[in-house]
Amino acid sequence: MKLSGHLRENVRRLQAVYTDCADVVFHDLLIGGHTPALLVYIEGLIRIDELDRHVVAPLRDAPGPDGDMEAIRRRTAVASVKTVGTFREVVDGIADGCPALLVDGCRDAILFGLTGREQRAVEEPTAESVLRGPREGFIETMRTNIAMLRRKIRNPKLKVVEMRLGTRSNTPLAVIYLEGIVKPSLVREVMSRLKRIEIDDVLETAYIEEWIEDNRYSPFPQLLSTERPDVASAYLLEGRVVIMVDGTPSVLIAPITFFSLLQTPEDYYERYVVGTAIRWLRYFFFAISLLGPSLYVAVVSFHQEMIPTTLMLTMARSREQIPFTALMEAILMETMFEALREAGARLPKQIGSAVSIVGALVIGQAAISAGIVSAPMVMVVAITGIASFMAPRYTIGIPIRLLRFPIMILAGMMGLLGVMLGVIVILNHLLNLRSFGVPYMSPLAPPGRRGLKDVLWRAPRWMLNRRAKR
Amino acid sequence: MRRLPLLLVLLPLCLLPVGGCWNAREVNDLAIITAAGIDRTEDGRIELSVKIYLTSPTGSDGGQMSGQPSSDKGTAVVRSATGINMADAASRLQKMISRTVFWGQTEVFLFGERMARAGLEEPMDFLMRHIASRERSLVFVSERTAKDVMLLAPPIDRSVAEALIAMAEHQTGLNITLKELAQMLVGKSGAVVLPIVRINPVRDKQAAFPYIEGTAVFKDGRMIGELNEQATRGVMWLRNEMKQATVTVTPDDSGGYVSLHLLRNHTRLLPRIEDGRWIMIVRITGQDDIVENTTALDLSEPDHIGKVEEALERLVEDRVKYALELAQKEYRADIFRFADAFWRKYPKIWKANADRWDEIFPEVEVRLEPDLRIARPGLVGKNFFRREQR
Repeated sequence: MKLSGHLRENVRRLQAVYTDCADVVFHDLLIGGHTPALLVYIEGLIRIDELDRHVVAPLRDAPGPDGDMEAIRRRTAVASVKTVGTFREVVDGIADGCPALLVDGCRDAILFGLTGREQRAVEEPTAESVLRGPREGFIETMRTNIAMLRRKIRNPKLKVVEMRLGTRSNTPLAVIYLEGIVKPSLVREVMSRLKRIEIDDVLETAYIEEWIEDNRYSPFPQLLSTERPDVASAYLLEGRVVIMVDGTPSVLIAPITFFSLLQTPEDYYERYVVGTAIRWLRYFFFAISLLGPSLYVAVVSFHQEMIPTTLMLTMARSREQIPFTALMEAILMETMFEALREAGARLPKQIGSAVSIVGALVIGQAAISAGIVSAPMVMVVAITGIASFMAPRYTIGIPIRLLRFPIMILAGMMGLLGVMLGVIVILNHLLNLRSFGVPYMSPLAPPGRRGLKDVLWRAPRWMLNRRAKR
Repeated sequence: MRRLPLLLVLLPLCLLPVGGCWNAREVNDLAIITAAGIDRTEDGRIELSVKIYLTSPTGSDGGQMSGQPSSDKGTAVVRSATGINMADAASRLQKMISRTVFWGQTEVFLFGERMARAGLEEPMDFLMRHIASRERSLVFVSERTAKDVMLLAPPIDRSVAEALIAMAEHQTGLNITLKELAQMLVGKSGAVVLPIVRINPVRDKQAAFPYIEGTAVFKDGRMIGELNEQATRGVMWLRNEMKQATVTVTPDDSGGYVSLHLLRNHTRLLPRIEDGRWIMIVRITGQDDIVENTTALDLSEPDHIGKVEEALERLVEDRVKYALELAQKEYRADIFRFADAFWRKYPKIWKANADRWDEIFPEVEVRLEPDLRIARPGLVGKNFFRREQR
């Protein structure tokens, strides 16, 4: 609805909108001593000092009446202003933290860009810390986050397309890409998928993640979320799209492959030999974290002849008094471990150490000496636990933790055959999966020679001089 | 209809637990056999004796599972059963053991001498057919009954099996696995060698321990005789199984001994048929370290090194000839796999003469070509501790 030319009419409408909004301030003033005007803003969202100094003061001290909005705007000392003509725009502007100025006799309103809410300082993201590399992380304010990306990629080709999402929350959202590198069809696809979302509120990027995924039932993440500007810009430079939501430090990256979930920024910040070695170690322990307990259960309850004799005898000795089957034991211990981890993750740091002591003593020492679980089993669980901590992304760690259990049960029922069955089913699923049309397992399947340099090993930088085809 | 795919997935999933864990064997329910002995009783039946590792904690260990058992004694028991054949004996054995007999970890098979002389075909069929037995387990012939060896509790090692494996791995004697035995039994030559296990001392049960000395010679699956330690060395040279050993030689007019450690030995059999004569050229190469020198020779001199090499080659030749003599003349058994070598090089001639191999083998002319080099004479040249050197 258009603004009316009469200030009183507009005020009545706005007051109707903002009934029972104690934090919305209606500030009357007379421009130049006689033209009635109104400033509307929400307390706490604006920089009130600057409003006083650069808007209120100059207008009040204006020498004479000014007929039109343009002249009034020029009196103020604010660089970022916007002239709007509808109620909708005014209300949205106020919600975003822009004070709105309405003047009697004008059919327009001015929005001053004096947004200034409280925000967290830029800190190192705790979930993605590095030993070498930039230590800044995204924060909850999207503006600041985009600025961080701009500072890394100083190029006008870095495009930021903004939109609003959430019929109730009206949350700002930005789609960021590097023109000239990104496939235009990918940007179109991202946009069209975002536009299809019907949602009340977007409190975190996870809200939209579930809407725009290719396979909504897969346990595997098809978008990557990160809190690190360097990671986001690296992916932008690879021609991927970053989706940012105001109010959360984690941004989404699309499309991704399985292997991008197993990479860390440090792979690229360390020397390539080190990067390669660490990457291999990570691949190996990734497999362990999925299959560790299952292989143990399969070998112990089906394929005893596969264990070297001396080890077998020692294991037989330690398993002698255990009342459970290997499968039961494994499920018991793994569940216990997951519980401990979950408990530890939610607790404040001071109490967290108590959990680890209880965990180590109760399920470690006491369970063995009481003869309830065998020592090799505890070792297997411990190794698996450490292996699962090696997953560089929390989001890839979760499906692996989850899938461990069905494979364990298969191993307990069919031995190595069951383990193979489980692996085949999972691989089959992974090979079918796509992230925004990109095969999840590429560049392994379908094979791409350029991409493999950065998957099978971490080739030195001078060899990574061509982008992988997608 | 939309639910159908889901059902198709869920129904087979429901079937999974129905199968259950029917063939799962928990370790707690296994009687792990570490060694098995096979004897032939006087009346021609088969007595199977097995060493079962005791997994339950013994003595004062109590509930504490951690750490080593307090004593090595009493960690294993021997059970034996008699039957008309291997399978029968094995099933009778099972009746006497509360847990499932588990053959998958059997590392040593021992044949009593009477069993060996009667022939190995019958027990071998069971051992090779049985899916659970390891083909990499070692096979020996026992001088006394296999059961006697089973009953030993050697003081150093955890079990008889471990003691025998450790000794065999030192390469002082032959090292034959179940798979190799099977290959020899069906091989072209039809002859088999197996190391012999003896007990020392025989009387004192507490201190007695098994050791490997000598070789049993088989022809057509039956044991026909023994080779002593000296001849065994010769056999090992010819079979290319001499991996490391220490020998002592006396070089000409040196008035002392030189001991050498043999390394990287390799024996090649080069068969040749010339004018109907079957010739086997045996090329022995190796590198040796000198470990002791009590002679007056200065081993930093190349000439002197040559002398020692000559003496060494003579020694090896003597040993090989001794073994050849016994095999060709006394036992007429091709334990060196000459037959396979000839077959590989002259498949057609071999085929025509395969039936006559028993007659040909004793007449095969063997030409020895040893080429043993001293690689490292050691840190000193002369033995400068000798009085006359000062």
